[in-house]
Amino acid sequence: MGKEVWEKAYALLEAYREGKLSRRHVLSGLVRLGLGTVAAQRFLEVWAQGKLLPSAPEAPYEAPVTPERVAFLRKKPYQGVTINILILKATVGDAVKYMAPLWEKETGGKVNLAEVPIETLYQQIFTDLTTGIRRYDAYMTGAWFYGDFFTTDPPYINPIDDFLKDPRYPYWDPKEMLPPMRELYTWKGQTYGTLFDADSQVLYFREDILTNKDYQRRFKEKMGYDLPVPPRTMKEMHDIADFFTGWDWNGDGQPDWGIALHAKVNEQGFFHFLTLAAPYVISKDNPRVFWFNPDTMEPLINSDGHVRALEEYALFMRNGPRDMLGWTLGEGWNLFLSGRSVMEPTWGDLPTLAQDPKASKVKGKVGAAPIPGTTEAYDPLAKAWRKYSLNRVGNVNGGSWHMVISRFSKNKEATYDFLAFMANRKNYFFLITHGWTGVQPGVKYAFFPPYGTGSVGEWEAQGWDQHDAIAFTRAYYENLTLPLQEPYLRIPGAAEYWRELDVQVSNVLAGNKKAKQALDEVYAAWQKITDRYGRDKQLKVYRASLGLK
Amino acid sequence: MRSPIWRSLSFWSRAFAYAFLALWTLWTLLPFLWALVNSLKAPVDTFSPKFIPVLDFKPVLDNWNAVLRDPNVVKALRNSALVGALSASLALGLAVPAAYALARHSFPLPNQQILLWFLSQRIMPPAVVLVPFFVLMVNLRLIDTVLALVLVNTTFTLPLAVVILSDVFREQSRDIEEAAQLDGAGEVTIFLKIALPLARDSLIAAWLICFAFAWNEALFAATLASDRAVTLPFLILASRSTRGVDFNTAAVNTLIAILPPVVLSFFAQRYLARGLSFGAVKG
Amino acid sequence: MRVEERPGIGGRRRISWFPYLSLFLAVLWVVAFTLYPLLSALWYSLNTYVLGRGIVGFVGLGNYREVLASQEFWHSLGVSLLYALLAAPLETALGFGLAWLVHLRPPGYRAFQAIFLAPLFAMDVAVGYLGVTLFSQQGGLLDHILRRLGLEISWLSSTWGGLAGGLILDIWLWTSFCFLVSLAGLSTLNEEMYEAALLETKSSWTVAFRIALPVIWPVLSLAFLIRFLEALKTFGLVYALTSGGPGTSTLLLSPLVYLTTVRFFNFGHGSAMGFLFLVLASVFIALFFRQLRRVVEA
Repeated sequence: MGKEVWEKAYALLEAYREGKLSRRHVLSGLVRLGLGTVAAQRFLEVWAQGKLLPSAPEAPYEAPVTPERVAFLRKKPYQGVTINILILKATVGDAVKYMAPLWEKETGGKVNLAEVPIETLYQQIFTDLTTGIRRYDAYMTGAWFYGDFFTTDPPYINPIDDFLKDPRYPYWDPKEMLPPMRELYTWKGQTYGTLFDADSQVLYFREDILTNKDYQRRFKEKMGYDLPVPPRTMKEMHDIADFFTGWDWNGDGQPDWGIALHAKVNEQGFFHFLTLAAPYVISKDNPRVFWFNPDTMEPLINSDGHVRALEEYALFMRNGPRDMLGWTLGEGWNLFLSGRSVMEPTWGDLPTLAQDPKASKVKGKVGAAPIPGTTEAYDPLAKAWRKYSLNRVGNVNGGSWHMVISRFSKNKEATYDFLAFMANRKNYFFLITHGWTGVQPGVKYAFFPPYGTGSVGEWEAQGWDQHDAIAFTRAYYENLTLPLQEPYLRIPGAAEYWRELDVQVSNVLAGNKKAKQALDEVYAAWQKITDRYGRDKQLKVYRASLGLK
Repeated sequence: MRSPIWRSLSFWSRAFAYAFLALWTLWTLLPFLWALVNSLKAPVDTFSPKFIPVLDFKPVLDNWNAVLRDPNVVKALRNSALVGALSASLALGLAVPAAYALARHSFPLPNQQILLWFLSQRIMPPAVVLVPFFVLMVNLRLIDTVLALVLVNTTFTLPLAVVILSDVFREQSRDIEEAAQLDGAGEVTIFLKIALPLARDSLIAAWLICFAFAWNEALFAATLASDRAVTLPFLILASRSTRGVDFNTAAVNTLIAILPPVVLSFFAQRYLARGLSFGAVKG
Repeated sequence: MRVEERPGIGGRRRISWFPYLSLFLAVLWVVAFTLYPLLSALWYSLNTYVLGRGIVGFVGLGNYREVLASQEFWHSLGVSLLYALLAAPLETALGFGLAWLVHLRPPGYRAFQAIFLAPLFAMDVAVGYLGVTLFSQQGGLLDHILRRLGLEISWLSSTWGGLAGGLILDIWLWTSFCFLVSLAGLSTLNEEMYEAALLETKSSWTVAFRIALPVIWPVLSLAFLIRFLEALKTFGLVYALTSGGPGTSTLLLSPLVYLTTVRFFNFGHGSAMGFLFLVLASVFIALFFRQLRRVVEA
């Protein structure tokens, strides 16, 4: 449809809204302009619902789009404006690089991207902010940086709620984000991030192996109960791991393994512990307290629940090659992707990589499920164990990389425009279905029916195996909609606290320390860090991050 | 051509020496060959016992393609070359006269202490001064410039060059210098016309050392640069992403990073280990 | 063959501008660029720094006290010391040995020289990453070869394995430095002296160790000292290989300072660590230097 036709159609719809024309008139008018009857009806429906157009030629890369946006774009609003964004090099950064020229074409603005290695991102952001240079309008940030952004008053980053209300910006609705993910993008009720990556860890497993009748029979003989697909409790997960360790179940002539872990220190290995420990401490009687006592800021990391969680996590070391203690992400994933381990609790990168024949041998065989739960959880405040039939806890562990706007930006409007552009449904859909972007889905509509309106055909068109796509998205959705969620640590110095935990978890896995002693040392280290940052200040931020007064 | 000592060695001694050299050659080449193998592997083959391309695994050119198509690579090569050559030259330009002075003259402070002071510049772990250097460059408006990296690398390699060359000059025979002095030659003349040419091999060696240091410097390169002034180490650091370390691409970058300097040193090494067989000093 | 300190060439004291200017320029450069950073770091070391709020309080020597009392600091220092004590002598000895042989100009010496120099231009982090694939027990080349020879080591999942792997790579990487410095030192030798010595002793070993070595000993011992200092400061190689693990058992001093300062913005502690290390190492090299020079004078 040409531009003039659009103008006329637009005029018709406006007239309809102002009550000047009847519905019948508008429909026949649209049909005369060249729309099919069905399309015309759809247009009118969408229009009547929320003033959204399915698409518009002024905004070729956005869908849906508001008429205000269409009008806004007509005058190339950001001609002559340049925005500077600091992003990661590779994967999620590449996604932004891909989107930038599209936005530039639509709006006339210019985007300068500075890519930095992940090792230096945090340092680059905060030296930029604290040394007064403030070169960047927006930063790509990990969820755990938030605490540090809020060490000043006003904070280093800019809320976007006002922008969200303005229909001239690309349309996206944060309410469509699944609740625990939405929480990561907000602070004290205000939204700061635009929709991008949504990380969480779920359990991936070889569905073909677990449903193998012969193996199931042998499992029942050995363990005394039916092989659960997927495992629902920690005990089941351990039993499966034990059962599949040490013999050749994939026919390659080598003994294989029950589990794969990327447990190297300083390499996000500690996220394994966080993910697996959640159901030992979080429960419906204790839904929010995992890290610190919310009244005294005393660390709870060495509670009986945490200790048991660490002890049981360490048991998994016997279900994988001993050297997985020193495995980076790639090595850990490789064990599963090359077909030699039955399970791996990790990020959505795993099933994504599984679709690439150059990286995997298990395409089409990847099952997924939320992390198993426990039948007993510890309440660290009440200091009591409580029994449950099945206590399952979801998580949003990981980076969940997204962009936030600097308070010092001189082009906040243009910056938000670009960020919202990438959050717009059409672009976001592109990001989550193309594996190279490293962007995982966090909004309801991205998932397949009955949850959302995504279509598996889209994924297959990008090379996904249908079974894997469905398994992955279903498990991901289930995990993100579990009523209980592990609270994410977002206080100043989060990376430092995690580092102490990481080191001690590694010591336990290596067999150099017992869990209780290790966690007691973490407790001591955390107390020191808290004192350095200022106990009262940390407490205040901690409470704010949990949504407490 | 052969040194008189070599000529004096027995067959077995020579065989032994040769074996040692050959073994070390193999040992030196091994990681490079392994990097080549890694660069040709698909990710799924990286952590399995597959060593020989074609025989053990199917080699792929994806890693090479991805890197060679990246416009940043050419930029990084150029920047690394500039930073390396400029900082090494600047460092030597300052270090050589100073080293000569320390080898030939005495100063109010004992020379040894001055040398120690230079040496002590190499002790501080660089991370301690990273942020202050960053602030310094911000104030000089040199962030993300090649100049900033040149200045930093010169500062770091200058002391090293002074200390090494000072000992080299001291070791060097002074007979000709003294003869020239008696003939009435001035200090600068002696320095330029006699001492420098005699020390040429060492100067080249020192230049290569400073160049290598700047070529491989990663910490400041990653902090002071983010776009226009990225160097090869920056790219190697960027092998780590949200998906962990990409060992295959890192292997490609390693090989690309090593090629130019090795070629450079190949041409430069004609000047090394020649000894004084052409005898500048003959009694 | 004795190296003497003589005031001025020819024994006459001359106050000339050339040496003073030369030294002054070099010193000026170093001071100009390091004064601010060092003073800045010193100031940080006397305060508590918190990200977002900057300096929050003066603590005088408090940071130093805490660092001296922290087990992490001493462990990292100890591991770094062990690492340097193993790496530096081996690299210096190997470097000298190789340089000596190449210096004899055997057939093909140019090729040897070029190859032996190559590792000098390899970046430490790149070598560390390469090392991860070399030592991986899931198909690493070195692990595979050594396992065939009966040697099974948990390279990247144990402390000693990690240090051993790091040392092996370090020796690969840095012997070329000692090689180059030795070569430079040997290049100043007068070859005629070899012929004369050979006529007398008839043993190439004697020539090497009794004649050549003492002459280049200053340069060689300097190479050792430099290599020792640099090895103490090793950062990228081992960090990329082991990330300091398991736990912090292979965390050398430089990575520890890096994490403290750059990752956690704990400038107070990090700077204090740096200065403590500076003091300790300076004392050490001051003593060592004197001992070294004594050997030469003997």
